[in-house]
Amino acid sequence: MVRTVETGRVDTVDASQKPRIHRKRPLEYVSWAVFILLAAGLAYSLTTNPNYQWGVVAQYFTSESILRGLGLTLVLTAVSMLLGTLIGLLVAVMRASSIRPIMLAASAYITFFRGTPVLVQLIFWFNLAALYPHLAIGIPFTNVSQTIDVNQIMSATTAAIIGLSLNEAAYMAEIIRGGFTSVGKGQLEAADSLGMSGMTKLRKIIIPQAMPAIIPATGNQVIGMFKETSLVSVLGVAELLQSAQLIYARTYQTIPLLIVACLWYLAMTLLLSYPQSLIEKRYSRSTAAIGRTIMPTEPAQIGEGK
Amino acid sequence: MSELGTVHVRALRKCFGERTVLQCIDLDVASGEICCIIGPSGSGKSTLLRCIDGLESIDSGVLRVNGEDLGYYETPTAYHALNPKQVARQRTQMGVVFQQFNLFPNMTAAENVMSGPVLVKGASKKESRVRATELLASVGLRGLEGHYPSQLSGGQQQRVAIARALAMDPSVMLFDEPTSALDPEWVGEVLAVMQDLAERGMTMLIATHEMGFAREVADTLIFMDGGVVVERGDAREVITNPKEPRTKQFLRMVL
Repeated sequence: MVRTVETGRVDTVDASQKPRIHRKRPLEYVSWAVFILLAAGLAYSLTTNPNYQWGVVAQYFTSESILRGLGLTLVLTAVSMLLGTLIGLLVAVMRASSIRPIMLAASAYITFFRGTPVLVQLIFWFNLAALYPHLAIGIPFTNVSQTIDVNQIMSATTAAIIGLSLNEAAYMAEIIRGGFTSVGKGQLEAADSLGMSGMTKLRKIIIPQAMPAIIPATGNQVIGMFKETSLVSVLGVAELLQSAQLIYARTYQTIPLLIVACLWYLAMTLLLSYPQSLIEKRYSRSTAAIGRTIMPTEPAQIGEGK
Repeated sequence: MSELGTVHVRALRKCFGERTVLQCIDLDVASGEICCIIGPSGSGKSTLLRCIDGLESIDSGVLRVNGEDLGYYETPTAYHALNPKQVARQRTQMGVVFQQFNLFPNMTAAENVMSGPVLVKGASKKESRVRATELLASVGLRGLEGHYPSQLSGGQQQRVAIARALAMDPSVMLFDEPTSALDPEWVGEVLAVMQDLAERGMTMLIATHEMGFAREVADTLIFMDGGVVVERGDAREVITNPKEPRTKQFLRMVL
């Protein structure tokens, strides 16, 4: 029992030992109430509305054509991301060039492919034959040439890959360029002072140091690309969404099949975002110095190593 | 070959846009000479070093290192720019040490030192690693070959940077305020390495604020202010007995 001098209050606990109690704000209680109410409403609707046809969802969730569509979606994502990244790297290097026409060409590329909707680009590539019915590949000023029928080679899948890759390349170019600019000027000067060539500088100094800035952003692009592939359904490529559409065109079970597609998209993006979060954590740690452990060393000795 | 390790500058002029940052700079450094450049910030001493190591191009004047025109070849009427490959080759003959160390953070100390010989000269990795270990030992960093720059103190990083420059067997070493970014406790060890280097007969150009080091190690000293050389001469003579009023004023402030 302690009687405080100032107030005359009798305390049972020494002031230095008293716990500090924080009160939750009223908004927190209100938002919990609203949240639970909405969740309950949604759950009630999902379970009692027969139009969801959960039986149909379950029936088609692992059906062969849906899984084949999912497989194609994954392949399209991987191929388009790979090509997009490679082309994007090239565009980023061109964009950083000090030679003006090269820089301008890269800028024009980025402006065009970021400035027009990817859906329009996809339809455009699919209909390329209307613009150029034949492509002739040959050596200029000789008779050696090969004519290609564009209609024949521009299948829906080819158009999808070209469209998605070229569009992705524009975004990747900007991400990679951002990574390049994050490398300090002093690094480039140090490389220059050692007499490094432009290519060595890019491979050994710039790209390794730009990676922490590039990789997390690329992870986001992969997740984005995974969903973006649904656009190629308009070309009739039988990816996940198109596979679902093909089934409900036959059975008129539109909603359950769209739910099947959505569940797969959701599952895969959740699956992809786990490694993404690991990558982000890893790179945010390594960019903030790896703990400045300074090792004790012998002092610099004058005359040593003569 | 007699001109190896020399720097020759005549009437050098350098502008950034409209602003002239260096004018009428004359400078001769003999082989094995230690020349310190002192002066207030913005006096142009860093820019002069950056011109000599080829990081900045000059607007007019003569600039020869090892008796070779830097970045250009001379014809009776003009200087014509060399191609990037020739410029890169010239640069390998000069070792540069920066104020901010500029070590490659993605490489260990040994890899930093090896980077020049391996990536530029195409030397074998094995031999370069042995040489890197020797060089690191010579700057007092034995056993730290595998450490990344972020694990080293400022003084250790700057000593790695010196070893990295030495790995290219330069005939001239340029130091751009090598101790200005260091905590005071690390300054001594870096200066000791530089003094050692001076005693081995390396030609050195050093922009510095370390008057004690300049007095002790430098042969010649130039004092710059406002983009011109105000005073030059024997290092001890200039520091102890400056002639120009501007030099006197500056030295009163820093000593």
